[in-house]
Amino acid sequence: MIFRELGLAIWISFKTSGLAALIASLLAVPAALFLAGRDFRGKRLVLLVNQTWMAAPTVVIGLLFYSLLGRGGPLGRLGLLYTQTAMTIGQVFLVLPLILGFSYTALRQVDRRARTTALTLGATRRQAGWVVLREARFALLTAVLAGFARAISEIGIAMMLGGNIRHATRNITTSIALEAAKGDFRGAAVLGAILLAITLGTNLLVQTGLPGKRGD
Amino acid sequence: MGGDLYRLEEVRFAHPFPKTSFALEIDLLRLEAGATLALVGPNGAGKSTLLMILAFLARPGRGRLVYRGGNPWASESDLVAARREAVLVTHHPYLFKGTVGENLAFGLKLRKVPETDWPRRVGAALDLVELQGRERADVRALSAGQVQRTALARAIVLKPRVLLLDEPTAALDAALGLRIEAVLGELGRQAGTTVVFSTHDFSQANRLGDDIFYLSEGRKVEYSHVNCFSGTAATDGRLSWIEPKPGIRIVFPGERRGHVTCVVDPARVAVRPANGPPAEAGTNVFGGRITRMDLIGPASALLRVSGDLTFRATVPMEEVSAKGLSLSKAVLLEFKPESVEVGHD
Repeated sequence: MIFRELGLAIWISFKTSGLAALIASLLAVPAALFLAGRDFRGKRLVLLVNQTWMAAPTVVIGLLFYSLLGRGGPLGRLGLLYTQTAMTIGQVFLVLPLILGFSYTALRQVDRRARTTALTLGATRRQAGWVVLREARFALLTAVLAGFARAISEIGIAMMLGGNIRHATRNITTSIALEAAKGDFRGAAVLGAILLAITLGTNLLVQTGLPGKRGD
Repeated sequence: MGGDLYRLEEVRFAHPFPKTSFALEIDLLRLEAGATLALVGPNGAGKSTLLMILAFLARPGRGRLVYRGGNPWASESDLVAARREAVLVTHHPYLFKGTVGENLAFGLKLRKVPETDWPRRVGAALDLVELQGRERADVRALSAGQVQRTALARAIVLKPRVLLLDEPTAALDAALGLRIEAVLGELGRQAGTTVVFSTHDFSQANRLGDDIFYLSEGRKVEYSHVNCFSGTAATDGRLSWIEPKPGIRIVFPGERRGHVTCVVDPARVAVRPANGPPAEAGTNVFGGRITRMDLIGPASALLRVSGDLTFRATVPMEEVSAKGLSLSKAVLLEFKPESVEVGHD
């Protein structure tokens, strides 16, 4: 029974955070490609806002979406509060600036010569964009995995938007909080170790496990 | 030789962001099909920017660029078609991750060249740049010179109508540089490829170029107006000099030996009355009389000053009147050693 609950919490964590990292990546990577390839007035402001947003505490994002999705909020009638969808939405906004920032740096490092080279060799704009993404693929994957690691280890959003509902929105971090609150420090420590193992595994994948990453 | 392949009229280009004072201002540049044009000028003169424009990678803010009778920016498809004809190899080329062969196949794939033709064409291009048999080499294992040659082969393999090269032999040793020069000469003469290349090396420009386009601060300077002197360099380790006439030295920084060509941009030559205060120590100073004054543009004049050596200097009009510069007036010419561009012969 305990194992079933534990397995479910892990599954919910993976599902909501994985989906959040995926959705955020689909938004952030094209945006980073746009930002890295162009200089325009206001770009520094965009990057500054992104950097500030990156440092936003999870509870602040949780609070923001709580007020939006709560019964009295503008999106209250969607009935999303205390669902896995709400957790995913909140986590998308948590990890979006992180993935955007990392992707931007990765794409800047590939540098504009890659794009210019592709264009002069006859690529269309779209093909040149793909070339840049391909050149930065390992660094971009690192950005996505870093986003996932951030999402899976946060608690503020999961607690405020998910509500820690058993078998529905209880994930690893909210389970840890609950176990600790109950005084079951052993259970909390086991869950904490599992969470650490997941983030460690993700980081190991980022650091060393990616094929062909060395020397890139 | 055909008609004009390129025609640039009143072309103005300024880097849009970040804003800089630099601008490229080309009143007229015509380039015939099959010609080889050398772009010469100091660093920052606008050579690379002009190459980017000729490769249709930068669009002039004002003016007209006509390529093969049309506007390459008329539509996205026109632009891609024009780019596929004019391939640029930059000074610091970028090689895509992977192998040398994959890099060379990149453009062939985009042009939908049948895959069965790739090995023959790739092999032939690598032969030309003396990288035969290196198709499978990882680009990360290449030296700077090999990177440069791979990039050149990657352009040559496409058999472009126009080959644009930014300092193509800068990263190569002298022998290999000459070999690449021979390849470029061959491409120009036999394959009818139009070649535009930038260089610091005046003798290379003279050897390869049918025409020389001298750029200074973004503008074309008549090559005949450039102060150009040759001689055997002597050095004290810190400074070097040539003596175009016995006892008359042109001094420049660094340690140089052998036969060199020194070029001094007329814009960097200061003119002052002969009875003025002494010049700063270490400056090149020459005396002479003004033997010619031409108006070049609305606000400046080109002066020819003849003395032990003949120099040309561009002077703003207000300075002409303020200093009372007129024909036959005795003047001193000054320029810093750092203003001398030195090329090896």
